[in-house]
Amino acid sequence: MNTPYAIRVHDLVYQVDGKPILKGVPFHACSGEIVGIMGASGSGKTTLLKCIAGLLRPTSGEIWIEEINIVPLSERAKMPLRLRLGIVFQYAALFDFLTVYENIAFGLERHRKLPRSAIDRVVQERLAWVGLEGTESLYPSQLSGGMRKRVGLARALALDPRMVLFDEPTSGLDPANAYQIDRLIRRLNRELGLTAVVVSHDVNSLFRTTDRIVVLDEGQVVAEGTPEAIRQSDHPKIQAFLRMASAETLDE
Amino acid sequence: MREELIWLDDEAPRRPSAVQAALAFLGALALLFLATLRGLVWGRKEWRETLHQMAFIGVTSVPIVVLTSAFTGAVITLYSASLLVRVGGASFVGGATGLALARELAPILTGIMVTARCGSAIAAQLGTMKITEQIDALRALAVSPIQYLVVPRLIAGLVMFPLLGTVANLAGVLGGAVVTSAFDIGLSTYLRSIQLFVEPFDFLGGLIKTVAFAMIIIMVSCQQGLGARGGAAGVGHATMRAVVLSMVLVFAANYFLADALFAKR
Repeated sequence: MNTPYAIRVHDLVYQVDGKPILKGVPFHACSGEIVGIMGASGSGKTTLLKCIAGLLRPTSGEIWIEEINIVPLSERAKMPLRLRLGIVFQYAALFDFLTVYENIAFGLERHRKLPRSAIDRVVQERLAWVGLEGTESLYPSQLSGGMRKRVGLARALALDPRMVLFDEPTSGLDPANAYQIDRLIRRLNRELGLTAVVVSHDVNSLFRTTDRIVVLDEGQVVAEGTPEAIRQSDHPKIQAFLRMASAETLDE
Repeated sequence: MREELIWLDDEAPRRPSAVQAALAFLGALALLFLATLRGLVWGRKEWRETLHQMAFIGVTSVPIVVLTSAFTGAVITLYSASLLVRVGGASFVGGATGLALARELAPILTGIMVTARCGSAIAAQLGTMKITEQIDALRALAVSPIQYLVVPRLIAGLVMFPLLGTVANLAGVLGGAVVTSAFDIGLSTYLRSIQLFVEPFDFLGGLIKTVAFAMIIIMVSCQQGLGARGGAAGVGHATMRAVVLSMVLVFAANYFLADALFAKR
């Protein structure tokens, strides 16, 4: 079945210890779209992302990755679906006992029957995409935060996923590095047609990268629209969030 | 089977009672063990990681196993010789040391030393991987953490523990031999006594024990590591629990195995 939706989420509830983190969240991302999920810390945005990635099992609701609802699936049944999704973790989550090369080749060696020369070529190509040629033999501990995130992205892209989920791609980065990551997301979307879901509390980053933004607050969607529409929104919580995010000095 | 229950512990109550905690631990351990067995039989083997773990669990543990076993063999010989020589039983000294080593001391010392050295390291590494989302990253790359992390460690443990047990036996016998000279017991008397009193099954039974200990230590350490949560304190807690639980279970298993293997002999 050909669906314009890459990801569809219906009425997603996630509870820990009876405490609701997500309270019936709807969400969708069309093929080739960049969707931002904005919200303060604790709003449930990373939980939503991890549910979409199949890393957390929601209490109830549906999550459709293209034509398959992943919620009832077992861990093993979800494995092939994960090849369609790339995930870039907040702190990159690189395997710290492996080199940059081994990190990027990790999925390829296990899921693609490729000769070594072809794996070499893919690793070089992905490193070139993220602007990190020549770092193959370094270990994650020898990289800066921004470089680690870019290696994380290269690793996520190694298996040619159709969609990529970004968890706080710019957090902890200086403005120059953050800008570079944002441009990279945009470029990959334009050139490869990747669907991207970007979870962030970095308002500026979301405004310049995404086609549409979903605002989460206390586990609920409070607004949804283009970056411009969100900027213009008169919802008090969004206004307060934007004001705080753009405040340059503290009002004593 | 809910395989992800092994590392997704969000559904567990935050403040479980002792009974709940014990049942949850046994449940998680059983789930992990079954999933590991399945991976062991049907899954893709990570041979490079397995070799790496064999070197870590086996080869690099040799010095500490040799040292502790040699001193233990020496002290057992010291006690038995000082007693037996007085009553004219010098020819029993080797047998006493050999039997104690083969049946009890070599396996249990191997277990204790590898728990302290490798069980703690396994729990700390897997725990750190869990809290830094590296376990999630494995899953995101469609690689089972059990297949990549637990199965190689279990294979390495099952292969290397009996070898370490053998090394412990040899080192213990050597340690004892050094002490016998202080009691004017000849080396040939000592070795002949071992030959006379220690049967092949004593040695074999000891090695069977080490296989059981390998299973306990590797599975408990992996389960604790994969179940770690929180930050650095969570990893510390998981490491401590891995060592304590492994030791307690090793000693308990040792009793039942001794009963099953040697009580009737």
